[in-house]
Amino acid sequence: MGKQVAMVMDLNKCIGCQACTAACKSLWTDDEGQEYMLWNNVETRPGPGYPRDWEQDGGGFADGQLQYGELPERSAHGGEIPLNHEQAFSSGTEIRLQQKEPMGYGANQDEDTSSGTYPNNYHFYLPRLCNHCTKPACLEACPVRAIYKREQDGIVLVDQDKCQGIRMCNRACPYDKVYFNYVIKKSQKCIFCFPRVEQGVAPACARQCPGRLRFVGMLEDEDGPIHKLVYQWKVALPLHPEYGTDPNVFYVPPILPSSFDEQGRFSEDPRVPMDYLRYLFGPEVDAALITMHEEIERKKAGKASELMDLLIAREWKSLFNIPDVRVA
Amino acid sequence: MPRSTRRIFLKVAGAGCLAAAFSGGFAFKTLAATQDPNAQYEYTGWENLHRNEWTWDKKTRGAHLINCTGACPHFVYAKDGVVLREEPSKDLPSFDGIPEYNPRGCNKGACAADYMYGAHRVKYPLIRTGERGEGKWRRASWDEALEMIADKVVDTIRDHSADCISVFTPVPAVAPISFSAGHRFAHFIGAHTHTFFDWYGDAPTGTAQTCGIQGEGCETADWFNARMIITWGSNPLTTRIPDAHYLTEAAMNGTRLVSISPEYNATSIKVDQWIHPRPGTDAALGLGMAHVIIKKGLYDANNLKEQTDMPFLVRTDNGLFLRETDMVDGGSDAMFYAWDSKTRKPVRMKGSWGEQPKKKPPVQPPFFGRNTLTFPKGYLDLGDLDPALEGTFKVKLKDGTRVNVRPVFANYKEQIMKDYSPGQVSAITGVNAAAITRLATDYATIKPSMIITGAGINHWYYSDVNMRVFHFLSALTANDGRNGGGVNHYIGQWKPVPLPGVGALSFPRGGQKHRFCQTTIWSYYHSEVYDAMENEGIDTAAFLKESLDTGQMPLYPRDGRDPKVFFCYRGNFLNQAKGQKYMLRNLWPKLEMIVTANFRMDTMALYSDIVLPSAHWYEKTDLNMSHEHTYLNMTEPAVEPLWESKTDWEIFRLISAKVAEAAVRKGYARYYDEQFKWARDLSRLLDDYTDNGKLETDVAAVEFFLRKAPHTKGITLDMLREKGAQRFKLNWTSPMKENIPYTPFQHFTVSKKPWPTLTGRQQFFIDHPTFFAMGVELPVYKAPVDADKYPLRFNTPHSRYAIHSTWKDNVLMLRLHRGGPLIELSAVEAAARGLKDNDWAEVWNDHGRIIARVKIRAGEQAGRVTMNHTPELYQDLMEGGSQSVIPIRLSPTALVGNYGHLRFKPNYYGPGGTNRDVRVEVKRYLGAAPA
Repeated sequence: MGKQVAMVMDLNKCIGCQACTAACKSLWTDDEGQEYMLWNNVETRPGPGYPRDWEQDGGGFADGQLQYGELPERSAHGGEIPLNHEQAFSSGTEIRLQQKEPMGYGANQDEDTSSGTYPNNYHFYLPRLCNHCTKPACLEACPVRAIYKREQDGIVLVDQDKCQGIRMCNRACPYDKVYFNYVIKKSQKCIFCFPRVEQGVAPACARQCPGRLRFVGMLEDEDGPIHKLVYQWKVALPLHPEYGTDPNVFYVPPILPSSFDEQGRFSEDPRVPMDYLRYLFGPEVDAALITMHEEIERKKAGKASELMDLLIAREWKSLFNIPDVRVA
Repeated sequence: MPRSTRRIFLKVAGAGCLAAAFSGGFAFKTLAATQDPNAQYEYTGWENLHRNEWTWDKKTRGAHLINCTGACPHFVYAKDGVVLREEPSKDLPSFDGIPEYNPRGCNKGACAADYMYGAHRVKYPLIRTGERGEGKWRRASWDEALEMIADKVVDTIRDHSADCISVFTPVPAVAPISFSAGHRFAHFIGAHTHTFFDWYGDAPTGTAQTCGIQGEGCETADWFNARMIITWGSNPLTTRIPDAHYLTEAAMNGTRLVSISPEYNATSIKVDQWIHPRPGTDAALGLGMAHVIIKKGLYDANNLKEQTDMPFLVRTDNGLFLRETDMVDGGSDAMFYAWDSKTRKPVRMKGSWGEQPKKKPPVQPPFFGRNTLTFPKGYLDLGDLDPALEGTFKVKLKDGTRVNVRPVFANYKEQIMKDYSPGQVSAITGVNAAAITRLATDYATIKPSMIITGAGINHWYYSDVNMRVFHFLSALTANDGRNGGGVNHYIGQWKPVPLPGVGALSFPRGGQKHRFCQTTIWSYYHSEVYDAMENEGIDTAAFLKESLDTGQMPLYPRDGRDPKVFFCYRGNFLNQAKGQKYMLRNLWPKLEMIVTANFRMDTMALYSDIVLPSAHWYEKTDLNMSHEHTYLNMTEPAVEPLWESKTDWEIFRLISAKVAEAAVRKGYARYYDEQFKWARDLSRLLDDYTDNGKLETDVAAVEFFLRKAPHTKGITLDMLREKGAQRFKLNWTSPMKENIPYTPFQHFTVSKKPWPTLTGRQQFFIDHPTFFAMGVELPVYKAPVDADKYPLRFNTPHSRYAIHSTWKDNVLMLRLHRGGPLIELSAVEAAARGLKDNDWAEVWNDHGRIIARVKIRAGEQAGRVTMNHTPELYQDLMEGGSQSVIPIRLSPTALVGNYGHLRFKPNYYGPGGTNRDVRVEVKRYLGAAPA
């Protein structure tokens, strides 16, 4: 068993700003055919997410058996929106800057739309990237062995030399995090910024995150924040563990504000239905939230909390326990 | 497409030189795939493809010189002369025990290089060939464009007057050198320049009224020091992205968070309690809190006695302050009294406006009502005095008559107790009475407790009242001047801490010899705006006439002339303009030449006559700062200005040179400026601009700037480049302390120097006729203005995906929401109008019309429509922009300029934006629409 690099995202710190999305896009996916791809995205939940209704597409493992799901429709991703800058700005042929084509669905179409009824409506932000799973369904599904998991860090990569564009990986990934480049006819996905990680620099999405919510490190490093959050405190949980791929991206579940009773008084009822959080993060979410509440209450009472201090991450570099050797 | 273009650029520029920087650096085991994820895989070396993508040959300092308040130091990475990307520099110093500022950036900053390349970029000087706004241009040489401009400038000075030339450029804090370029040019020719902080609706006039200060706030690291935070009319998670982490981290540190906002927004998600009053009822909610705090005796009486006008005596016969003029012959009308409970006598209070410090202050900073900092420390200390806060007393006036007097607090308390019980306030605001009591109790008992506020309470006709109420809450609980406390107002990157540097570079002969117009008045007057305020029984024209006739507020050009030439750069003036429809209809035809310099074709550029290409932020040297942190940072050229663009400093240097030439050629070089008694000589304009060659370059201007202010003493450009951002040595209203975040007002609350107000205290009672006429001599709740007879309020907050209009046309940002401007409605209001999500809808009132798509949000309150402010007018709406339905409404209290600390100084006091006090109706748009 090789080493595994992992990420924990504290959803209580995610502000939905999409700096991660932009950082990733600027660095990796500005080639032809990649315009529509967001290796990293942030979606409002509850909501259909990106690509639209990805949770309905299937894939992953059931009873140890690989499942081939549906290919997401191209339109479910939305795309870059071509604008008529030339017409509007310099040729005088069109007064208004307009989309050349209707946008249809966008990557963040349902941002902040919220669920439930005012004032007890609820939503939060969920950033997503490839989970670099311990049991990657994409890898299992590839008939030409173009997908591999690196021994030195467990990063899952699609070999661009070998990929034949068969798209079985697209069908197998239950998170719809493998994208198809329709121009060069190859599958492409998040590379966990391996060229950076190799140099001791955290991935762009984590290192440019102004919310300071992404912990990056080796899963097995018992002194690192990942191990503490996942195994010691058990507050960081994988998304949809029932998909059976053993993700290496984990989430601290969100705590939302008080709800209101019918008279408009503050109520003890949770704003987000627990069933919804269990749907996303599995049955462990109850215990994780109890731990989080207990530790926040300790802080409110002026007591110390190692967990909260860990999550606050006063020092920026404490988010990362890969050797952060330089300011790049 | 900007991204592909950049990539193509690189491929062309870098053909044949993509050396693999990391090739061979790593040993890979050959591994194989399928079934066993850890099985061996035959590795081909393809990974170098990606390693190559993360390489660069040049790394420079970069910042985004835009009015966003971030001031986020970045590194910019270029390869083969092409800027590839940027990343926060992550080298801002930290305070012990407080989370770092690093990494400091956002989604827009992460794709700022997009504006360098692609179709938005203005590449060459352009001269209009079609109608304004039509987008028909011809490419011109710099020489031709400059000559046209110079001829028009000289002709205008000769045929009309220099002050018919108008120069608009905002916000020195984000780019002081660029800002100074146009101001310096205007200064030497006698043109007028514009205020912006007020015009943008950012200036908290209530802070000037209460504190005698333009505005202030703690640096955001101080949020972490609070034990309770109320975000009130402020949504930092969307609009203060680099600082938002202090809220979530404070929550984890045990700080109680409350969000007060009609809608459930990104910030509301993160708090303990979300409170959702009806829009525009914030002052009532605040006074309900004051009611509870006073009734429960949770207020700090000593603070009120020492730091505020609460003990100052008010005559019951005429309702005015008891003044020294009332009491003694030859007394001052700016000296006041309190009732000493011990001696049972009226006592004249120290430190008011009528008293001068023994040590005369060398400078009068424009952000102060007056400079009180040379008063000795402890001047406000009460000593043996015990001023009464309550009671009615009799005093004998100088003519022997006896009148009753009462402390301000007694009057105010009576009103608060009568009108603002939790039950009464609940009826106004819709907030549950028990929730109001809880909020007030928490706020008064958890210490320190902080209010963070912003545009949501500042864009109302009575926004000054909102701020006054917030200051009152903070004064009741003695939270001012405490780390983790206070009322902290964040809108706009308005605070250039080293102001003397701005002054020296922009106004070399002094601000008193510079023409500042008040932009809101200027726009209202010259655009001939209809404000419909007669529906509220308010005669704006009468208040304005009184203010202008008596010189309380300025209007340029003088003598009722029309502006003729308009320069705009670093600002999208037309697109951002309230009263936009009136401006296009009435002001634009008056302007004989409109010149815009910009790197992108914004609405202002599109509606100009000449467009000059200016350098992008990564193509020039300038400085950058904010009030959200206390560090000065810089930007420098990653590449030389692209195409034919030039830096702003260079552009105005060239214009100055051409104007000097044209003036000589036309034989109109010398003229006498009566207003300033200044014999001007345009033939010397270039020498004046460059200070005889000393300020030829941007770099020379930066170095000059740094030398001129004590705030930047010892800081050099090399230091900023090599070591990163440097902390200011000095600040406005508190000392800078090592390892402690800046929080304002300690010169007054801790050092106990007089506040720069008429009374020398935080002043809540303003006995000016206009304030009486408006019923706000004390801060009491005034209902939102319903001058527009339409059912829905129009709400225009800032977007997550743009800084004002910038990035509105960025392809990546667009696809991260719905691709274009939207109006947002609650399900209730949408259903009532038969509107479905994504339908096209028409928004209208008497001022204008917008046609845009609808987004339905469960977290939006019924009774209003929300539109993120200022998409480009040319953007993907079918008609209009957010400003199309917004008139300009001048708040009469902000027209006052003859009352102690209430007087016009640029960006310190004057009317601002009232854009939330607009009503509209919405219906389905039934015309032809794109799919």
